[in-house]
Amino acid sequence: MRNMRGDAMRGLAVFISDIRNCKSREAELRRINKELTNIRQRFRADKTLDGYQKKKYVCKLLFIFLLGHDIDFGYMEAVNLLSSNKYTEKQIGYLFISVIMNSSTEMKQLIIQNIRNDIQSRNPIFINLALQCVANIGDKEMATAFTHEIPRLLTSGDTIDPVKQSAALCLLRLHRTSPESLQLNTEWTARIIHLLNDQHLGVATAAVSLIDALVKRSPDEYKGCVNLAVSRLSRIVTSSYTDFQDYTYYFVPAPWLCVKLLRLLQNYPPPDDPSVRSRLNECLDTILNKAQEPLKSKKVQHSNARNAVLFEAINLIIHMDCESSLLVRACNQLGQFLQNRETNLRYLALESMCLLATSEFSHEAVKKHQETVINALKSERDVSVRQRAVDLLYAMCDRSNAEDIVQEMLTYLETADYTIREEMVLKIAILSEKYAVDYKWYLDIMLKLIRIAGDFVSEEVWYRVIQVVVNRSDVQSYAAKIAFEALQAPACHENMIKVAGYILGEYGNLIALDLRSTPMIQFDLLHSKYHLCSPTTRSLLLSTYMKFINLFPEIKQHIQDVLRHDSNYRSSDVEIQQRAIEYLRLSEICSPTVLATVLEIMPPYPEKQSPLLVRLKQKKPLMEAENNSEPSVTTTTTHTEDVPKFAETAIHLNQQQQQQQQQNGLLVSFDTIESNTHFGESTSYSLPSTITTTETTIQSSKKFLFKNSDIIFENDLLQIGIKGEATKHILRVEFYYGNKTNFNLTNISTNITLLDELESELRLNLEPIKPTIDPKAQIKQSGTIECLQEFRDLPKINFSFL
Amino acid sequence: MIGGVFIYNHKGEVLISRVYRDDIGRNAVDAFRVNVIHARQQSRFPVVNIARTSFFYTKRSNIWLCAVAKQNINAAMVFEFLNKMIDIMQSYFGKISEENIKNNFVLIYELLDEILDFGYPQNSDTGVLKSFITQQGVRPITREEQTNVTSAVTGQIGWRREGIKYRRNELFLDVIESVNLLMSQQGQVLSTHVAGRVVMKSYLSGMPECKFGINDKITVDNRTKNPLDSTNINNNSTTNGSTNPSTTTGTTTTTKTAIAIDDCQFHQCVKLSKFESEHSISFIPPDGEFELMRYRTTKDISLPFRVIPLVREIGRTKMEVKVVVKSNFKPTLIGQKIEIRIPTPSNTCDVQLLCMKGKAKYKSSDNAIVWKMKRMGGMKESQLSAEIELLPNDKKKWNRPPISMNFEVPFAPSGFKVRYLKVFEHKLNYSDSDTVKWVRYIGKSGLYETRS
Repeated sequence: MRNMRGDAMRGLAVFISDIRNCKSREAELRRINKELTNIRQRFRADKTLDGYQKKKYVCKLLFIFLLGHDIDFGYMEAVNLLSSNKYTEKQIGYLFISVIMNSSTEMKQLIIQNIRNDIQSRNPIFINLALQCVANIGDKEMATAFTHEIPRLLTSGDTIDPVKQSAALCLLRLHRTSPESLQLNTEWTARIIHLLNDQHLGVATAAVSLIDALVKRSPDEYKGCVNLAVSRLSRIVTSSYTDFQDYTYYFVPAPWLCVKLLRLLQNYPPPDDPSVRSRLNECLDTILNKAQEPLKSKKVQHSNARNAVLFEAINLIIHMDCESSLLVRACNQLGQFLQNRETNLRYLALESMCLLATSEFSHEAVKKHQETVINALKSERDVSVRQRAVDLLYAMCDRSNAEDIVQEMLTYLETADYTIREEMVLKIAILSEKYAVDYKWYLDIMLKLIRIAGDFVSEEVWYRVIQVVVNRSDVQSYAAKIAFEALQAPACHENMIKVAGYILGEYGNLIALDLRSTPMIQFDLLHSKYHLCSPTTRSLLLSTYMKFINLFPEIKQHIQDVLRHDSNYRSSDVEIQQRAIEYLRLSEICSPTVLATVLEIMPPYPEKQSPLLVRLKQKKPLMEAENNSEPSVTTTTTHTEDVPKFAETAIHLNQQQQQQQQQNGLLVSFDTIESNTHFGESTSYSLPSTITTTETTIQSSKKFLFKNSDIIFENDLLQIGIKGEATKHILRVEFYYGNKTNFNLTNISTNITLLDELESELRLNLEPIKPTIDPKAQIKQSGTIECLQEFRDLPKINFSFL
Repeated sequence: MIGGVFIYNHKGEVLISRVYRDDIGRNAVDAFRVNVIHARQQSRFPVVNIARTSFFYTKRSNIWLCAVAKQNINAAMVFEFLNKMIDIMQSYFGKISEENIKNNFVLIYELLDEILDFGYPQNSDTGVLKSFITQQGVRPITREEQTNVTSAVTGQIGWRREGIKYRRNELFLDVIESVNLLMSQQGQVLSTHVAGRVVMKSYLSGMPECKFGINDKITVDNRTKNPLDSTNINNNSTTNGSTNPSTTTGTTTTTKTAIAIDDCQFHQCVKLSKFESEHSISFIPPDGEFELMRYRTTKDISLPFRVIPLVREIGRTKMEVKVVVKSNFKPTLIGQKIEIRIPTPSNTCDVQLLCMKGKAKYKSSDNAIVWKMKRMGGMKESQLSAEIELLPNDKKKWNRPPISMNFEVPFAPSGFKVRYLKVFEHKLNYSDSDTVKWVRYIGKSGLYETRS
């Protein structure tokens, strides 16, 4: 009977074909329901099933699960299959539990016990099945459970090679999922390292992957692997491909093992032992030599395998960065690839060359290929390769070739792909600044850059231009001149207007004597662009106009007219409106000397790391290390805050108690002139203490120009704080009343009075507060204050308690 | 307006594709297949919007019917049209199936050309369509026939052609109602409504004008004010077959109170202006079968059956279910095709059944016990008890879906009554009393559920 049905599992085949023949989803669901009921009937506790039947039904369940239905039974039967002695039954059991892993712990313990039995068995097939299952599930519990068994299998002398291979990979998987729960005895270390010398190449390949992962965890412990790896590598490289029958891939001897060994070596610095080192150099030399040999096969697999080894070798050479001859050879080899027909090769060559360019030994060698790279930039069809070419140009640039390279990049920028433009702009800006001998050249390049790239010029770039100009007094008049010229173009990019506006505002006087750029002409030219700009640019231009008032008093009248114009004075944009109003007042009230102090030339910026590099790193998180070794020329601060600060100083010096609106809206200053604080214990005595705090008024009101919350009143008994948040004309306020005494403060009442006109100018809406404050506690009162009109007086708080 | 109509088989292959407007491209066909037919999750919405194109669809057996539109059109109209299209196809070639559609695809395209013009629905009356879209081969048409067709299609009464003659003037009225119910375990009615249809089959000569009276509350109230009308259809329909021909006139007992109809709609032949003003239903009927009106009521519904479930869970591996069914109508009447469906938990292994009447069976493919009874008299009761064996399962709790029921009874559960139907034909000179009239009431179950 048993022989008759064999292992075919006809029932399963029939079930699957039934499902495949179902005409609709509903029909399929009906068939599955029917089958599930059938299986449930079979699996009922009182029935006994033989292994074959269990296997069949577990298979069906697996199939149903893979169709996307929920399975909530049959786990027990699957686990029972694990203890079967038949391969097929065991296999299905393992398959089931690695696909549908039940999270219930009791089941898990059972599964782990079964796996342990198999691992300890003498049948290599069973061991491999168990190892596969562990690797497939590969969770924390598995890692802790088998932390001893698997390394033992790996290192014991009597395990056969395929099992060792599986054990190594299984261990690697466990190490990847939960390295902390895997405790490896140090006594295994030496043995694991010695697997590199294993006769069987498969075992060695699996072991390298494992060792690579372990080395990353504790490099010192596995330091011994370097020697072994080098000797293994040299044995492979020097032997002919006929020596490794099974492990030769299209005439390349064991390419995967080679690549992995080369990667492993990149975890360590170049070996100290001269003999090992020379042996390694020999290997690398041989690999480079082999690359020169004619191809043994036309098949793409052959060249792929060979190049994979070669590129990994070059990576190692770059990593070691000590053998100049090797570096130069690698560079020449890559130079050959630059002209290769394979796009992938060209890409890889450019990428590796980028790394080579940073090494002092090969930098010159890389520079030889500048022409080719520039050609690649121009003629390459693949955008990613072009991107690499840009990277390489950036990396190989130095003082000697900066002008050429910047020029080439600028030319290319006009036709460059939109996705890389912003990055290119940054790179051009950095290079031209870094290698600028003559800052006039730098300014020319930058203005050209802004003209060409326009939208792709990020804020940092033009901030930086201004910083350079501000910090270098020798180029300021030249800057003013060319900015003025650039502005004369009929169509100007907004960034250009910003730069020109700023520079002219600061240094417009330096070119004012020229008849072609008299103050009036400068102003008219700027103002002709004004209406086409965005609000931020407009507010910058308003500041420029204000600076003009200081620089050229003769056009003051003109500028005041502009400020007074409805589109500014009553602009819907708060920032523009505020600036127009404040600047106008400033120009009307202040004497020329005060104005001159307020609108002084901007001081030089402190020198810091260029924000451009920061920005470039943000764009490319994996930027090469070269940027860290950045030389000095850089300067900076956060330039962004410059403009608002400018506005604030103006007010500060003004000393006027005018109504103020901060950038984001209205500010209400609070006054605590009369805080009548009654203190006493009701019966014995009362001490009315009237504290007048006129001076705090001014202070506190001024404080709120710069922050949203502060303490407005404080004495031994009481602390009053305020926190405000303004949206347009409504200020949302929270008052905090803190009791500093050790008694309860009772009968508390607060009252904010609005005197005279203030009543029609502000509208208060505050919630009532609790009448008591516990000792050392604080209560909160929140509400809103609405500004209906401009106001001058300040509201008063009356706060009383017993 | 409708941009195109597609018909798919169950695999999503296009059987019929007719595009009426340029804004619908070929990719719309694929979009529906990918997003609805082959969707991972079964779509539960009758209207799907993909890339600013609306797809209105229904499914009949294994066939998907889908109307596509780019514009914002009246969805109810589209579904009315789709259902009408199904009716037409059924009257032409019977059951809608993949094979029938493949065999008749020329006919279907011809029909689609006729019933939609640039996406606007046209005359979809089967009788009229059949007069010029025939299933026989081309036969010579006489001039007379041709003018008939033209006048039928373009004339004022598009649904009836002139010159129809019958030796015996006869008409059949079917009142078909479906009762929907949701009842709680304790027997409390949670929601109920009746959706009814009046289907008429007329074999009348000439151009007769008919007047139809029902026991609608408003009409009845009107009538009590001017009791001039006389009814001439006997109200007590007894058996499930047809009533006696109502040759007796006059003596009508105003049985029961009038019913409140929540909303109703009529076939296009009914003169709506007259209904608005006088609340009387008068019309010139099409020849053959048609649906005269549809209505819906929610009040005073007499529920024909009551299901009383009793579920007891004994431990983790066993469950006992007892279901009692009571019929709640006149003992002289007999309910038919009774089927009760009792859902079972998803971890059922085996079911033992015992029932006093009919046949009960556990259908594992549907996870339900199905109990069937051919017939059941009024005011009777019957019982089924089941023992369900379960496989222990601690994961999910069974959420006890409701027990549903199907049946057919020979009365209208809403209390709907036909009071009269008068036929006037002035030209041909046959009187109302010469026509033979038959009335039949059928109450069916819609979604008739009791929670367990």
